Amino acid sequence: MSVIELKNINKYFGTGTSRVHVLSDVNFAADKGELILVVGPSGSGKSTFLTIAGGLQTPSSGKVIVEGQDVDQLTKKQRDKLRLNHVGFVLQSYALVPYLKVKEQLEFVRRVKRTGLLSSEDLQSLLAQLGIEDLVDKFPGQLSGGQTQRVAIARALYANPEIVLADEPTAALDSARVAEVGKLFKELAETRNKAVVVVTHDMRLAEFADKTYEILDGKLGLKQPAQETY
Amino acid sequence: MYLALKEIRHEKLRYSLITGMIVLITYLIFILSGLATGLAGENTQAIDSWNAKSVVLNRDANVNLSQSTITTDQIDNANLTKNQAVIGQSPVVVKSHDREKESAQFVGLKNNEYIAKDLSVANGRKARTSHEVVVDQQFKQDGYKLGDKVKFNSATTRYTIVGFTKNAKLNVAPVVYGSLSTWKDLRNMPGAKLAGSAIVSKTANFKSHNKELKTYSDSYFVSKLPGYAAQNTTFGFMIGFLMIISLVIIAVFLYILTIQALPTYAVLRAQGIPAATLVRTIISQSLILMALGIVIGTGLTLITANMIPFGVPISFNVPMLAMISVGLLLMGIIGAAIPARKIAVVDPVQVIGG
Repeated sequence: MSVIELKNINKYFGTGTSRVHVLSDVNFAADKGELILVVGPSGSGKSTFLTIAGGLQTPSSGKVIVEGQDVDQLTKKQRDKLRLNHVGFVLQSYALVPYLKVKEQLEFVRRVKRTGLLSSEDLQSLLAQLGIEDLVDKFPGQLSGGQTQRVAIARALYANPEIVLADEPTAALDSARVAEVGKLFKELAETRNKAVVVVTHDMRLAEFADKTYEILDGKLGLKQPAQETY
Repeated sequence: MYLALKEIRHEKLRYSLITGMIVLITYLIFILSGLATGLAGENTQAIDSWNAKSVVLNRDANVNLSQSTITTDQIDNANLTKNQAVIGQSPVVVKSHDREKESAQFVGLKNNEYIAKDLSVANGRKARTSHEVVVDQQFKQDGYKLGDKVKFNSATTRYTIVGFTKNAKLNVAPVVYGSLSTWKDLRNMPGAKLAGSAIVSKTANFKSHNKELKTYSDSYFVSKLPGYAAQNTTFGFMIGFLMIISLVIIAVFLYILTIQALPTYAVLRAQGIPAATLVRTIISQSLILMALGIVIGTGLTLITANMIPFGVPISFNVPMLAMISVGLLLMGIIGAAIPARKIAVVDPVQVIGG
């Protein structure tokens, strides 16, 4: 069964003549064990797609099912709980709390979530895999863009969610690191049985994806190989 | 609390500035309330020491001890017991050879009535004759000694200081306790059958049984002391305004800090961190800052209290200071409510985009 499903999703912004149809009859499903890329040009509705999939905003019409739960039927608190326990967000900017050291960013997750986190050994291996095991005593202000992004990934994965939603997770990384993150996401999907959905411009990740979707003018479709890159 | 402490520790300068403001406000409030209590005490110390529950004055005296005279005829039916004492009060200028003149309140007592009996003498002894007086400790501070001979106003009669008593101030002037016969001499009303200025009673329900006299409760009597209510109201307003200023300061600072940190809070909300956790963070921060400010402010107040000259009327009422501290903490919570609301309604989508 798919862990995340979007059924006939439409999303409009504005009213009257300024109304914009951002997502049009979007149908999407992700299963555990899959790494799915959603690509598209700026303003195509990628972030809207991601925030609706994560229950951060509601569609104008259609249904979002996460872990068998109709997100639209959940209260705000229940959606918070759903995200905290089942969905890991990896975001492009402002991802880290500026006054917490790397290890404290993880500690904060532990204090809020308390159960179902990665074990200490798994966390250590994750930090090593991301190449940030020596950065645990640094503040975000002391990290490069790439290091910041990797810490944000570690923080999302530490909560051990079934679904990982990532918004441009490799925007600040060089090609070697992109490949590492791609491999990590792939491994995460396969070995840890997660559904990983990555919204990105970065086609360097395509080689790791099981499926690549494309959003164009609000419509989502499977991207055929050898198409143009963004 | 975790985030609150971490942020304060990381942003030391920023939070030191806010704490500094709270320290100054707390210090100012404590010193002002100390002065208010001290001044209020100097109005009522003597009255408080009498443990009065009610005071009988001449009905036409407008609740003013200085304006009240009671004749012997008026108290004929009063049935005075061991719980009542007749006092005669008169403002005097105390003069002594080679000493500064001192403005004081003369209070005449009967040696066999409770106020004279209960009078606590810190140095020396109680007066035994009408030519002996017990005076407030302030006279000692001003150089007067036991055995000094003093005169009152323009009178030529000399009185000997035989004792010093603590906390004997009335209308912000030191009290001279003497005899009722001396008071009668000071009033200089020959032929008048004066009994005193007032009857002070340790019981609340004392009746004088004379329609020319009226019984007032101690609290009402005190509230009508000249300038007392106006002075306390002024201090009350100053303290109230300072509380409001502390509220504004904490609200403005936390609001600015919250607005700056809103994108971070939005991301945390996106990750499912409950709004309540973040709201608790901002309220904890406010409480920590207020508590820190209050503790340091209290320390500064204690240092000041120990250094302040004797003549400055300052006195600390611990329960009142505790209430002010609780009030300041409440101001902190209210001040944090506005930024807390901002956090509670933050929309992660605005930060993420889409």
